[in-house]
Amino acid sequence: MNCEELIHYLSDYIDNGLTEKLRVDAEEHLATCRNCHVVLDTTRQTIVLFRETHREGIPVDRRSALFGQLEKAMAARRSGRGMP
Amino acid sequence: MLPPTPSIESLRAGDPQALAALFEIHADRVYRLAFGLLRERQAAEDVVQETFLSAMTHLAQFEGRSSLGTWLYRVAYNASLTRLRARPSEPLPPDEPEPGEPPLPRALVEWDQTPEEMLLDAEGRRQLEAAITTLPETLRAAFILRDVEELSTQETAESLGISEGAVKVRLRRARLLLREHLAEYFGARAAQKEGEP
Repeated sequence: MNCEELIHYLSDYIDNGLTEKLRVDAEEHLATCRNCHVVLDTTRQTIVLFRETHREGIPVDRRSALFGQLEKAMAARRSGRGMP
Repeated sequence: MLPPTPSIESLRAGDPQALAALFEIHADRVYRLAFGLLRERQAAEDVVQETFLSAMTHLAQFEGRSSLGTWLYRVAYNASLTRLRARPSEPLPPDEPEPGEPPLPRALVEWDQTPEEMLLDAEGRRQLEAAITTLPETLRAAFILRDVEELSTQETAESLGISEGAVKVRLRRARLLLREHLAEYFGARAAQKEGEP
């Protein structure tokens, strides 16, 4: 496997989604190619950084207000449906 | 993987506790997807509202071929894209990302050993924001669902209405583009730090 092929399979390699043969080929390449190893490690780090920093949900002060609006809208629809 | 949701029967019956549980489990996830695409809190909140209302109104049409969670994502994704397309300055997000691979990685300095407190300081966080904002929305959605929300490939495919193969292609492109963006910045910082006495 050369560098170009390794980069093509890198994402599936990270997800353990390669066939046994491709996985072995990828690991053989990674063992000898420092650049591709750097790309693998920094891609994994990229994923971790986004996972850690992009977990913010609805702002606390807005959460219950949003649910309140939803309940109100649902109630309005239910009573609307019951009207002649 | 997505956590289990309240039963569809309890939701159809109008059980208020079931609605509360559905909101509790999925509202933040729907919000993060919408905010990730729209980058505006108010617009993301509007999408949350629209998503749950639309889902509850169309419960009868839910056929159970996908999970309720991915169904909500699908509604939220489409609602977000509709809003994006309505923005006058926004270029139309392509339905399919252009074919071909991202260019081969160029920034090859190691920075994965750099302490996280340095990576995640104010400037580091700004770089993360800049990186994700430059990603086309279709790639961004795949990245958020797979790598931030940790959905399976199948769940992501159901949520975006595309094949599992297309999810993998988008994810590969997204990861490499984000890495390249961050590597240019963090690599330079790591090299600079090494040069310090």
